[in-house]
Amino acid sequence: MKKELSFEQALIRLESITELLQKGGMALEEMVALFEEGTAIAKICHERLNKAELKLSEVQTIFEQDEESEESA
Amino acid sequence: MQVYTVAQITGYLRDILESDGVLADIWISGEVSNLSGSSAGHLYFTLKDEASQMRCVLFNRKRLSVEMENGIAVVAHGRISIYEVSGAVQLYVDMIQPTGLGILHMEFERLKTKLAEEGLFEPSRKRPLPSFPEKIGIVTSPGGAVLHDITNIISRRYPLVELVLAATTVQGESAAPGIINALNALNDRGDIDVIIIARGGGSIEDLWAFNDEKVARAIYSSKAPVISGVGHDTDFTIADFVADKRAPTPSAAAELAVPHRGEIEARLQSYIATMAAALSNSIERHRQHADDLSATISTQVKNGISVNIEKLHGQELKLRSLSPLATLERGYALVQSHANGEVISNISQVERGDMIKVQVSDGQFNGRVTGSKKGIQV
Repeated sequence: MKKELSFEQALIRLESITELLQKGGMALEEMVALFEEGTAIAKICHERLNKAELKLSEVQTIFEQDEESEESA
Repeated sequence: MQVYTVAQITGYLRDILESDGVLADIWISGEVSNLSGSSAGHLYFTLKDEASQMRCVLFNRKRLSVEMENGIAVVAHGRISIYEVSGAVQLYVDMIQPTGLGILHMEFERLKTKLAEEGLFEPSRKRPLPSFPEKIGIVTSPGGAVLHDITNIISRRYPLVELVLAATTVQGESAAPGIINALNALNDRGDIDVIIIARGGGSIEDLWAFNDEKVARAIYSSKAPVISGVGHDTDFTIADFVADKRAPTPSAAAELAVPHRGEIEARLQSYIATMAAALSNSIERHRQHADDLSATISTQVKNGISVNIEKLHGQELKLRSLSPLATLERGYALVQSHANGEVISNISQVERGDMIKVQVSDGQFNGRVTGSKKGIQV
Protein backbone atom coordinates (compact mmCIF):
# COMPACT_ATOMS: atom_id res chain seq x y z
CA MET A 1 0.00 0.00 0.00
CA LYS A 2 1.10 3.51 -0.72
CA LYS A 3 2.04 5.71 2.12
CA GLU A 4 -0.62 6.63 4.61
CA LEU A 5 -3.98 6.31 3.01
CA SER A 6 -6.63 7.50 5.44
CA PHE A 7 -8.65 4.71 6.93
CA GLU A 8 -11.57 5.63 4.74
CA GLN A 9 -9.42 5.81 1.59
CA ALA A 10 -7.99 2.41 2.45
CA LEU A 11 -11.46 0.92 2.78
CA ILE A 12 -12.56 2.52 -0.48
CA ARG A 13 -9.49 1.13 -2.25
CA LEU A 14 -10.20 -2.28 -0.76
CA GLU A 15 -13.78 -2.12 -1.93
CA SER A 16 -12.79 -1.20 -5.47
CA ILE A 17 -10.14 -3.96 -5.56
CA THR A 18 -12.81 -6.44 -4.50
CA GLU A 19 -15.09 -5.21 -7.25
CA LEU A 20 -12.31 -5.41 -9.85
CA LEU A 21 -11.52 -8.97 -8.83
CA GLN A 22 -15.16 -9.93 -8.98
CA LYS A 23 -15.49 -8.46 -12.43
CA GLY A 24 -12.40 -10.36 -13.57
CA GLY A 25 -11.44 -10.23 -17.25
CA MET A 26 -7.79 -9.40 -16.64
CA ALA A 27 -4.54 -11.29 -16.69
CA LEU A 28 -4.02 -13.71 -13.86
CA GLU A 29 -0.86 -11.93 -12.72
CA GLU A 30 -2.78 -8.72 -12.49
CA MET A 31 -5.42 -10.43 -10.36
CA VAL A 32 -2.84 -11.92 -8.08
CA ALA A 33 -1.22 -8.51 -7.66
CA LEU A 34 -4.60 -6.96 -6.81
CA PHE A 35 -5.36 -9.74 -4.39
CA GLU A 36 -2.05 -9.18 -2.66
CA GLU A 37 -2.65 -5.45 -2.44
CA GLY A 38 -6.17 -6.05 -1.10
CA THR A 39 -5.16 -8.47 1.60
CA ALA A 40 -2.32 -6.16 2.60
CA ILE A 41 -4.75 -3.25 2.95
CA ALA A 42 -7.17 -5.39 4.95
CA LYS A 43 -4.36 -6.40 7.25
CA ILE A 44 -3.24 -2.81 7.74
CA CYS A 45 -6.81 -1.69 8.47
CA HIS A 46 -7.18 -4.47 10.99
CA GLU A 47 -3.92 -3.55 12.67
CA ARG A 48 -4.77 0.12 12.72
CA LEU A 49 -8.09 -0.64 14.41
CA ASN A 50 -6.44 -2.78 17.02
CA LYS A 51 -3.46 -0.62 17.75
CA ALA A 52 -5.11 2.78 17.65
CA GLU A 53 -5.51 4.75 20.81
CA LEU A 54 -7.98 7.54 21.06
CA LYS A 55 -6.29 10.94 20.95
CA LEU A 56 -7.58 13.74 23.09
CA SER A 57 -6.86 17.39 22.64
CA GLU A 58 -8.45 20.67 23.47
CA VAL A 59 -9.18 23.89 21.70
CA GLN A 60 -8.99 27.22 23.45
CA THR A 61 -12.35 28.67 24.46
CA ILE A 62 -13.55 31.47 26.69
CA PHE A 63 -14.36 28.86 29.29
CA GLU A 64 -12.40 29.75 32.40
CA GLN A 65 -11.05 26.53 33.66
CA ASP A 66 -9.96 26.06 37.20
CA GLU A 67 -7.33 23.76 35.73
CA GLU A 68 -8.09 21.10 38.25
CA SER A 69 -8.61 17.41 38.14
CA GLU A 70 -10.57 16.02 35.27
CA GLU A 71 -11.01 12.45 34.38
CA SER A 72 -9.68 12.91 30.87
CA ALA A 73 -7.73 9.67 30.66
CA MET B 1 -37.61 76.45 23.19
CA GLN B 2 -38.61 74.66 20.10
CA VAL B 3 -42.00 73.73 18.76
CA TYR B 4 -42.23 70.27 17.27
CA THR B 5 -44.71 68.84 14.88
CA VAL B 6 -46.82 65.86 15.99
CA ALA B 7 -45.04 63.69 13.43
CA GLN B 8 -41.67 64.67 14.81
CA ILE B 9 -42.70 63.67 18.30
CA THR B 10 -44.33 60.39 17.36
CA GLY B 11 -41.20 59.60 15.32
CA TYR B 12 -39.05 60.44 18.30
CA LEU B 13 -41.15 58.23 20.56
CA ARG B 14 -40.94 55.40 18.07
CA ASP B 15 -37.16 55.65 18.02
CA ILE B 16 -37.04 55.48 21.80
CA LEU B 17 -39.44 52.55 22.02
CA GLU B 18 -37.76 50.57 19.30
CA SER B 19 -34.27 50.99 20.67
CA ASP B 20 -35.26 49.51 24.03
CA GLY B 21 -34.12 45.89 24.48
CA VAL B 22 -36.92 44.92 26.84
CA LEU B 23 -39.69 46.33 24.66
CA ALA B 24 -38.28 44.68 21.55
CA ASP B 25 -38.82 41.14 22.80
CA ILE B 26 -41.55 40.90 25.40
CA TRP B 27 -44.26 38.59 26.72
CA ILE B 28 -47.45 40.24 28.06
CA SER B 29 -50.37 38.43 29.69
CA GLY B 30 -53.93 39.75 29.70
CA GLU B 31 -57.51 39.27 28.64
CA VAL B 32 -58.56 39.64 25.03
CA SER B 33 -61.18 42.29 24.22
CA ASN B 34 -62.30 44.43 21.28
CA LEU B 35 -61.31 41.64 18.94
CA SER B 36 -61.69 42.46 15.26
CA GLY B 37 -60.18 41.32 12.01
CA SER B 38 -59.32 43.11 8.80
CA SER B 39 -59.98 41.91 5.31
CA ALA B 40 -56.21 41.53 4.88
CA GLY B 41 -56.17 38.92 7.62
CA HIS B 42 -54.77 41.09 10.36
CA LEU B 43 -56.13 40.74 13.84
CA TYR B 44 -56.72 43.71 16.16
CA PHE B 45 -57.53 43.41 19.85
CA THR B 46 -56.87 44.87 23.24
CA LEU B 47 -55.10 43.12 26.08
CA LYS B 48 -56.34 44.25 29.46
CA ASP B 49 -56.14 43.50 33.14
CA GLU B 50 -57.87 45.14 36.14
CA ALA B 51 -55.77 48.27 35.90
CA SER B 52 -54.85 48.90 32.32
CA GLN B 53 -55.06 47.99 28.66
CA MET B 54 -52.89 47.87 25.59
CA ARG B 55 -53.70 47.79 21.91
CA CYS B 56 -52.39 44.84 19.98
CA VAL B 57 -52.09 43.91 16.33
CA LEU B 58 -51.23 40.53 14.89
CA PHE B 59 -50.26 40.45 11.23
CA ASN B 60 -49.62 36.75 10.88
CA ARG B 61 -52.47 34.53 12.00
CA LYS B 62 -50.35 31.41 11.56
CA ARG B 63 -48.71 32.26 14.84
CA LEU B 64 -51.96 31.74 16.73
CA SER B 65 -51.97 28.71 18.93
CA VAL B 66 -55.26 29.61 20.62
CA GLU B 67 -58.77 30.09 19.33
CA MET B 68 -59.15 33.85 19.69
CA GLU B 69 -62.31 35.26 21.25
CA ASN B 70 -63.14 38.11 23.54
CA GLY B 71 -62.67 37.36 27.23
CA ILE B 72 -60.05 34.66 27.02
CA ALA B 73 -56.77 34.94 28.90
CA VAL B 74 -53.66 34.77 26.75
CA VAL B 75 -49.98 35.53 26.75
CA ALA B 76 -48.79 37.45 23.73
CA HIS B 77 -45.24 37.89 22.51
CA GLY B 78 -44.02 40.74 20.37
CA ARG B 79 -42.46 44.17 20.33
CA ILE B 80 -43.87 47.49 21.48
CA SER B 81 -43.89 50.48 19.20
CA ILE B 82 -46.07 53.41 18.28
CA TYR B 83 -48.56 53.53 15.46
CA GLU B 84 -47.86 57.04 14.28
CA VAL B 85 -51.12 57.51 12.39
CA SER B 86 -53.15 57.27 15.57
CA GLY B 87 -50.37 58.00 18.04
CA ALA B 88 -51.20 54.81 19.89
CA VAL B 89 -48.57 52.74 21.63
CA GLN B 90 -49.26 49.12 20.79
CA LEU B 91 -47.95 45.61 20.93
CA TYR B 92 -47.01 44.18 17.54
CA VAL B 93 -47.76 40.55 18.31
CA ASP B 94 -45.92 37.70 16.68
CA MET B 95 -47.23 34.87 18.84
CA ILE B 96 -50.10 34.16 21.16
CA GLN B 97 -50.18 31.32 23.67
CA PRO B 98 -52.85 30.28 26.13
CA THR B 99 -52.06 31.18 29.74
CA GLY B 100 -51.16 28.46 32.19
CA LEU B 101 -48.08 27.39 30.27
CA GLY B 102 -44.73 28.21 31.79
CA ILE B 103 -42.88 31.11 30.25
CA LEU B 104 -40.02 28.86 29.14
CA HIS B 105 -42.41 26.54 27.42
CA MET B 106 -44.01 29.48 25.63
CA GLU B 107 -40.66 30.85 24.62
CA PHE B 108 -39.65 27.43 23.38
CA GLU B 109 -42.79 27.19 21.22
CA ARG B 110 -42.34 30.71 19.93
CA LEU B 111 -38.72 30.17 18.92
CA LYS B 112 -39.45 26.77 17.44
CA THR B 113 -42.23 28.21 15.28
CA LYS B 114 -40.13 31.17 14.24
CA LEU B 115 -37.03 29.17 13.29
CA ALA B 116 -39.12 26.52 11.55
CA GLU B 117 -40.66 29.25 9.40
CA GLU B 118 -37.19 30.51 8.59
CA GLY B 119 -36.25 27.05 7.41
CA LEU B 120 -33.62 26.28 10.03
CA PHE B 121 -35.07 22.81 10.62
CA GLU B 122 -35.52 21.85 6.97
CA PRO B 123 -34.66 18.19 6.43
CA SER B 124 -33.17 19.13 3.08
CA ARG B 125 -30.45 21.18 4.70
CA LYS B 126 -29.37 18.48 7.15
CA ARG B 127 -25.87 17.48 6.21
CA PRO B 128 -24.79 13.86 6.13
CA LEU B 129 -22.39 12.78 8.85
CA PRO B 130 -18.96 11.57 7.73
CA SER B 131 -18.69 7.77 7.75
CA PHE B 132 -15.11 7.76 8.98
CA PRO B 133 -14.37 11.00 10.82
CA GLU B 134 -10.82 11.73 11.84
CA LYS B 135 -11.36 14.67 14.14
CA ILE B 136 -14.45 15.05 16.28
CA GLY B 137 -15.18 18.24 18.14
CA ILE B 138 -16.94 17.94 21.50
CA VAL B 139 -18.79 20.93 22.87
CA THR B 140 -19.55 20.18 26.49
CA SER B 141 -18.51 20.74 30.04
CA PRO B 142 -14.98 19.47 30.67
CA GLY B 143 -15.60 18.06 34.12
CA GLY B 144 -18.81 16.13 33.75
CA ALA B 145 -19.66 12.51 33.21
CA VAL B 146 -20.80 13.39 29.69
CA LEU B 147 -17.29 13.88 28.34
CA HIS B 148 -16.16 10.75 30.13
CA ASP B 149 -18.97 8.67 28.57
CA ILE B 150 -18.37 10.04 25.10
CA THR B 151 -14.65 9.34 25.35
CA ASN B 152 -15.25 5.79 26.53
CA ILE B 153 -17.74 4.96 23.83
CA ILE B 154 -15.66 6.34 20.99
CA SER B 155 -12.51 4.72 22.33
CA ARG B 156 -14.29 1.36 22.36
CA ARG B 157 -15.99 1.67 19.00
CA TYR B 158 -13.51 3.47 16.83
CA PRO B 159 -10.30 4.67 18.45
CA LEU B 160 -8.87 5.97 15.15
CA VAL B 161 -10.01 9.49 15.88
CA GLU B 162 -8.88 12.56 17.72
CA LEU B 163 -11.39 14.10 20.07
CA VAL B 164 -11.06 17.85 20.29
CA LEU B 165 -12.73 19.25 23.36
CA ALA B 166 -14.14 22.75 23.22
CA ALA B 167 -14.94 23.36 26.85
CA THR B 168 -17.93 25.41 27.90
CA THR B 169 -20.35 25.71 30.73
CA VAL B 170 -23.64 24.13 29.74
CA GLN B 171 -25.90 25.73 32.30
CA GLY B 172 -26.69 29.22 33.45
CA GLU B 173 -26.15 32.68 32.01
CA SER B 174 -22.75 32.01 30.48
CA ALA B 175 -23.79 28.76 28.82
CA ALA B 176 -25.26 30.16 25.58
CA PRO B 177 -22.31 32.45 24.77
CA GLY B 178 -19.98 29.66 25.88
CA ILE B 179 -21.54 27.12 23.53
CA ILE B 180 -21.42 29.60 20.63
CA ASN B 181 -17.78 30.38 21.38
CA ALA B 182 -16.91 26.69 21.57
CA LEU B 183 -18.63 25.98 18.23
CA ASN B 184 -16.78 28.85 16.61
CA ALA B 185 -13.44 27.77 18.08
CA LEU B 186 -13.90 24.31 16.56
CA ASN B 187 -15.07 25.60 13.19
CA ASP B 188 -12.21 28.08 13.02
CA ARG B 189 -9.72 25.21 13.05
CA GLY B 190 -11.09 24.01 9.74
CA ASP B 191 -10.10 20.39 10.34
CA ILE B 192 -13.04 19.13 12.39
CA ASP B 193 -15.17 16.54 10.59
CA VAL B 194 -18.14 16.48 12.92
CA ILE B 195 -19.14 18.19 16.16
CA ILE B 196 -20.99 16.68 19.10
CA ILE B 197 -22.78 19.16 21.30
CA ALA B 198 -23.80 17.46 24.50
CA ARG B 199 -25.15 17.86 27.96
CA GLY B 200 -26.56 15.47 30.53
CA GLY B 201 -30.16 15.45 31.66
CA GLY B 202 -31.81 18.21 33.66
CA SER B 203 -34.85 20.41 33.99
CA ILE B 204 -36.02 22.71 31.20
CA GLU B 205 -34.25 25.53 33.04
CA ASP B 206 -31.02 23.50 33.17
CA LEU B 207 -31.19 22.80 29.45
CA TRP B 208 -32.23 26.31 28.56
CA ALA B 209 -29.03 27.34 26.78
CA PHE B 210 -29.87 24.74 24.15
CA ASN B 211 -33.10 26.61 23.44
CA ASP B 212 -31.30 29.87 22.82
CA GLU B 213 -31.89 31.48 19.46
CA LYS B 214 -28.26 32.50 19.00
CA VAL B 215 -27.09 28.99 19.86
CA ALA B 216 -29.55 27.64 17.30
CA ARG B 217 -28.16 29.99 14.66
CA ALA B 218 -24.58 29.07 15.54
CA ILE B 219 -25.42 25.39 15.06
CA TYR B 220 -27.16 26.21 11.81
CA SER B 221 -24.13 28.04 10.44
CA SER B 222 -21.56 25.56 11.73
CA LYS B 223 -19.21 24.44 8.96
CA ALA B 224 -18.92 20.93 10.37
CA PRO B 225 -22.14 18.93 10.76
CA VAL B 226 -23.46 18.91 14.31
CA ILE B 227 -24.86 16.04 16.35
CA SER B 228 -26.89 17.10 19.36
CA GLY B 229 -27.08 14.90 22.42
CA VAL B 230 -28.82 16.93 25.07
CA GLY B 231 -30.57 15.58 28.14
CA HIS B 232 -32.54 12.37 28.04
CA ASP B 233 -34.44 10.94 25.12
CA THR B 234 -37.66 12.65 26.20
CA ASP B 235 -36.05 16.08 26.14
CA PHE B 236 -36.30 18.03 22.94
CA THR B 237 -34.44 21.30 22.55
CA ILE B 238 -34.19 23.82 19.75
CA ALA B 239 -30.59 22.63 19.33
CA ASP B 240 -31.97 19.17 18.57
CA PHE B 241 -34.22 20.52 15.83
CA VAL B 242 -31.53 22.54 14.13
CA ALA B 243 -28.72 19.99 14.49
CA ASP B 244 -27.87 17.87 11.49
CA LYS B 245 -28.57 14.82 13.59
CA ARG B 246 -30.36 14.56 16.91
CA ALA B 247 -29.24 11.89 19.34
CA PRO B 248 -31.47 11.13 22.33
CA THR B 249 -28.53 11.23 24.79
CA PRO B 250 -24.84 12.21 24.83
CA SER B 251 -23.84 8.53 24.68
CA ALA B 252 -26.06 8.00 21.65
CA ALA B 253 -24.44 11.03 20.02
CA ALA B 254 -21.04 9.40 20.47
CA GLU B 255 -22.34 6.22 18.88
CA LEU B 256 -23.74 8.14 15.91
CA ALA B 257 -20.47 9.96 15.37
CA VAL B 258 -18.28 6.95 14.61
CA PRO B 259 -18.59 3.60 12.86
CA HIS B 260 -18.50 0.41 14.88
CA ARG B 261 -15.25 -1.48 14.96
CA GLY B 262 -17.06 -4.86 14.80
CA GLU B 263 -18.85 -3.82 11.61
CA ILE B 264 -15.58 -2.73 10.04
CA GLU B 265 -13.92 -6.03 10.96
CA ALA B 266 -16.84 -7.90 9.44
CA ARG B 267 -16.53 -5.77 6.32
CA LEU B 268 -12.81 -6.50 6.06
CA GLN B 269 -13.51 -10.22 6.41
CA SER B 270 -16.13 -10.15 3.73
CA TYR B 271 -13.80 -8.28 1.34
CA ILE B 272 -11.09 -10.86 1.89
CA ALA B 273 -13.52 -13.74 1.35
CA THR B 274 -14.89 -12.16 -1.82
CA MET B 275 -11.42 -11.42 -3.18
CA ALA B 276 -10.22 -14.95 -2.44
CA ALA B 277 -13.27 -16.49 -4.09
CA ALA B 278 -12.90 -14.28 -7.16
CA LEU B 279 -9.22 -15.14 -7.47
CA SER B 280 -9.67 -18.89 -7.09
CA ASN B 281 -12.55 -18.81 -9.56
CA SER B 282 -10.36 -17.05 -12.01
CA ILE B 283 -7.47 -19.46 -11.48
CA GLU B 284 -9.89 -22.34 -12.09
CA ARG B 285 -11.08 -20.67 -15.27
CA HIS B 286 -7.53 -20.05 -16.40
CA ARG B 287 -6.64 -23.68 -15.71
CA GLN B 288 -9.64 -24.84 -17.73
CA HIS B 289 -8.64 -22.51 -20.49
CA ALA B 290 -5.05 -23.76 -20.35
CA ASP B 291 -6.26 -27.35 -20.60
CA ASP B 292 -8.42 -26.53 -23.59
CA LEU B 293 -5.56 -24.65 -25.13
CA SER B 294 -3.07 -27.47 -24.77
CA ALA B 295 -5.54 -29.93 -26.27
CA THR B 296 -5.99 -27.65 -29.25
CA ILE B 297 -2.26 -27.22 -29.66
CA SER B 298 -1.50 -30.94 -29.67
CA THR B 299 -4.11 -31.70 -32.33
CA GLN B 300 -2.85 -28.80 -34.35
CA VAL B 301 0.70 -30.11 -34.07
CA LYS B 302 -0.34 -33.55 -35.20
CA ASN B 303 -2.35 -32.22 -38.11
CA GLY B 304 0.50 -29.91 -39.00
CA ILE B 305 2.98 -32.75 -39.31
CA SER B 306 0.85 -34.83 -41.66
CA VAL B 307 0.20 -31.82 -43.81
CA ASN B 308 3.93 -31.25 -44.09
CA ILE B 309 4.64 -34.81 -45.09
CA GLU B 310 2.20 -34.49 -47.96
CA LYS B 311 3.82 -31.25 -48.97
CA LEU B 312 7.19 -32.96 -48.97
CA HIS B 313 5.95 -35.64 -51.33
CA GLY B 314 4.70 -33.05 -53.70
CA GLN B 315 8.02 -31.21 -53.65
CA GLU B 316 9.92 -34.40 -54.36
CA LEU B 317 7.76 -35.15 -57.38
CA LYS B 318 8.28 -31.69 -58.71
CA LEU B 319 12.01 -31.92 -58.27
CA ARG B 320 12.16 -35.24 -59.97
CA SER B 321 10.34 -34.00 -63.01
CA LEU B 322 12.98 -31.30 -63.40
CA SER B 323 15.88 -33.77 -63.16
CA PRO B 324 17.47 -34.92 -66.48
CA LEU B 325 16.97 -38.50 -65.39
CA ALA B 326 13.25 -38.20 -65.96
CA THR B 327 13.93 -36.74 -69.38
CA LEU B 328 16.23 -39.61 -70.25
CA GLU B 329 13.52 -42.00 -69.14
CA ARG B 330 11.26 -40.42 -71.68
CA GLY B 331 13.71 -41.44 -74.50
CA TYR B 332 15.94 -38.37 -74.73
CA ALA B 333 19.76 -38.73 -74.59
CA LEU B 334 22.53 -36.55 -73.20
CA VAL B 335 25.45 -36.09 -75.61
CA GLN B 336 28.87 -35.01 -74.33
CA SER B 337 32.20 -34.45 -76.02
CA HIS B 338 34.44 -37.34 -75.28
CA ALA B 339 37.43 -35.06 -75.22
CA ASN B 340 36.27 -32.49 -72.63
CA GLY B 341 32.88 -33.72 -71.31
CA GLU B 342 31.17 -30.61 -72.69
CA VAL B 343 27.42 -31.11 -73.21
CA ILE B 344 26.70 -30.95 -76.91
CA SER B 345 23.62 -28.88 -77.59
CA ASN B 346 24.35 -27.65 -81.16
CA ILE B 347 26.14 -28.98 -84.24
CA SER B 348 28.84 -26.34 -84.25
CA GLN B 349 30.37 -28.06 -81.22
CA VAL B 350 31.37 -31.17 -83.19
CA GLU B 351 33.28 -32.03 -86.33
CA ARG B 352 33.31 -35.19 -88.34
CA GLY B 353 35.36 -37.86 -86.62
CA ASP B 354 34.92 -36.45 -83.03
CA MET B 355 34.31 -39.01 -80.32
CA ILE B 356 31.17 -38.54 -78.27
CA LYS B 357 29.61 -40.03 -75.14
CA VAL B 358 25.88 -40.70 -75.18
CA GLN B 359 24.02 -41.02 -71.91
CA VAL B 360 20.63 -42.75 -71.94
CA SER B 361 18.40 -43.74 -69.08
CA ASP B 362 20.18 -46.89 -68.06
CA GLY B 363 23.75 -46.41 -69.25
CA GLN B 364 26.34 -44.88 -71.56
CA PHE B 365 27.80 -45.71 -74.92
CA ASN B 366 30.41 -44.13 -77.13
CA GLY B 367 30.12 -43.05 -80.71
CA ARG B 368 31.83 -41.11 -83.49
CA VAL B 369 30.43 -38.19 -85.48
CA THR B 370 30.10 -39.24 -89.08
CA GLY B 371 28.40 -36.10 -90.37
CA SER B 372 26.05 -33.26 -89.40
CA LYS B 373 23.24 -31.34 -90.90
CA LYS B 374 21.49 -28.12 -89.79
CA GLY B 375 17.81 -28.16 -88.84
CA ILE B 376 15.63 -30.37 -86.67
CA GLN B 377 14.86 -33.70 -88.21
CA VAL B 378 12.87 -36.08 -86.07
